[in-house]
Amino acid sequence: MSVAIALNQVVKTYAGAKQPAVQGLSLQVNEGEIYGLLGPNGAGKSTSVMMICGLTPYSSGEINVLGFDAKSKSATIRSLIGVAPQEIALFPTLTAAENLTYFGNMYGLRGKKLRETIAHYVEAFGLTSKLNEQVASFSGGMKRRLNLIAALLHEPKLLIIDEPTAGVDVHSRNLIIDILKGLNHKGMTILYSSHLMEEAEKLCTRFGIIDEGKLIAEGTREELLQQNTNCKDIEELFLHLTGKSMRD
Amino acid sequence: MIFLMPLILVTVMALVQDAPFRDYQDLKFQVLYVNNDKDSLGEVFEHSLREAKNLELVTNVNGLSITKEQASELVHSGKYKAAIILPQNASKTLNKKVKHSVAQLMANFGFGDEVKDTVDNREIAIELVFDPVTKVNFKLAISNAIEKIAANAQSKLIIENLKTQMAALGSEQKKQVIDFSNSLVVKETEQPSTAIATTNSVQHNVPAWTMFAMFLILFPLAGNFIKEREEGSMLRLRLISGSSFPVIAGKYLFYFMICLLQFALMMAIGIYLLPKLGLARLSLGTNYEGVVLTAMAVGIAATAYGLLVAVFFKTHHQALAFGSVSVVLLAALGGVWVPTYVMPPTLQAISHFSPMSWGLEACNDLFLRNANTAAILPNIFRLVGFGTVLLVLSFMIYRSRETKG
Repeated sequence: MSVAIALNQVVKTYAGAKQPAVQGLSLQVNEGEIYGLLGPNGAGKSTSVMMICGLTPYSSGEINVLGFDAKSKSATIRSLIGVAPQEIALFPTLTAAENLTYFGNMYGLRGKKLRETIAHYVEAFGLTSKLNEQVASFSGGMKRRLNLIAALLHEPKLLIIDEPTAGVDVHSRNLIIDILKGLNHKGMTILYSSHLMEEAEKLCTRFGIIDEGKLIAEGTREELLQQNTNCKDIEELFLHLTGKSMRD
Repeated sequence: MIFLMPLILVTVMALVQDAPFRDYQDLKFQVLYVNNDKDSLGEVFEHSLREAKNLELVTNVNGLSITKEQASELVHSGKYKAAIILPQNASKTLNKKVKHSVAQLMANFGFGDEVKDTVDNREIAIELVFDPVTKVNFKLAISNAIEKIAANAQSKLIIENLKTQMAALGSEQKKQVIDFSNSLVVKETEQPSTAIATTNSVQHNVPAWTMFAMFLILFPLAGNFIKEREEGSMLRLRLISGSSFPVIAGKYLFYFMICLLQFALMMAIGIYLLPKLGLARLSLGTNYEGVVLTAMAVGIAATAYGLLVAVFFKTHHQALAFGSVSVVLLAALGGVWVPTYVMPPTLQAISHFSPMSWGLEACNDLFLRNANTAAILPNIFRLVGFGTVLLVLSFMIYRSRETKG
């Protein structure tokens, strides 16, 4: 099985910070899997995702994405991956169609091909009737779905999603999960970063739990529960490994 | 707003600064005249002052002639800008002094008898009273006019006395008296044939505030850029490989076009609206190619400056605080408020580093001196060079932030 993402002893220390946000993180995401990168707030999930996308430089270690070094080939990597960041990365004053056309153009898509791709995804995500409405008027769930479509327009090999269902209702959440599963069945590798254990358990085929910038557990659901027999699901395992104290 | 506010600004500024830009000959000031002499000198003064185009002589208030005290009070209360008070017996005293001096002079040259009697040597003081708020330039203009009238009157009297006293000596000597009253005159040289307009409020304010308005592009540009960064759409663009150039170029071109439109609108105001408000019509000269070139060069510089502020600062507050202060400073140094030639030498030297000064100089060359394109090229190169350096710097900062987060 080929490796889609490989992190090897990656360290990231922000300027002025007392301790690293990520310290010696090593993990591997295989092609064709949905990898759940789980961790409490401040564990280093978003920093790791930004480093994988080439948007945040790492202090030391190695990151390889789809066979390319993240430091020297970040532009190539960004052309091959799709990213739905935690924040809504859209123009609120433009309509959904204008947003998707603009981002599609920036990906190099034009004409009929772009129109068909947009039509396909807005249909799948239930946004066809809202295509010509301003994004600012959308509900949280609609914005999340559109944010995801913008990451899929160029049909990436690898999809990286950070908290894709934050602030959305159960209907939108289920729709998003179903679509992500469908995309994975078609061969798309997905790196899913979240702190929502129940959702991760429904979606992911393998998990990596990080805390304080370090990987503290990795494996499939079964492997992880076998190693911790007193835990009946991923949430219990997560609390067992990261402790029950509050994280801010 | 970006179009409307500068248009209002240029209209108001051109109207407000119209008077200071006009020559005093074009304006009329009411000046009190108290003639306590009531003799020939008083008449000469009144006649000469009435001939001065910029003065409206007031000798009566409410139908009554005014005293020295009343005149002072009226001026100090601000009702009149100045008063000219001629002392009592000024003509008689002056006549005596001149007659005595001429007789002494003639005696010294061997004409006539020696003068033995003495004359009162005290000066005849013509008093000028000014309103305390009166500008120095106005005071100087009035003082100079009075001094000129006094000098003329005195010279005339001396010559008349010379003529009279020489006439008394015989016809031969009388012929030797030369009339040199018009020998030395001051004459303004004609403008060179290339000059097409003289500076006035419109010719200064329209191009000056146009430079300022074009640099105001900083606000929408930086505002839009930072807003997109805060809203997250900029993050999406950062995630798309190869998007840096089209994003920067797209924004730059759009705002550059806005700058050109701004220039065209401001010029149109000077040509079509300001004359309807009683001001002079803006003259663009005859080198329209040069005007387009200047507009483009200023647009390149202004947009690049706005872009640099947009990519460099991370928040609205930072960008707006720096942007507003820096644009005002560049405008002040560039001669937007007051022309650079009236600045102190140090500021004049600094003003050469303001891109607004380069643009304004190019406009003045074209509009007032009817310069050809070659003459404005040094300023055009400065503006384009400034814009190019800033544009490259902006792109580098944007790329660096793109990968550093």
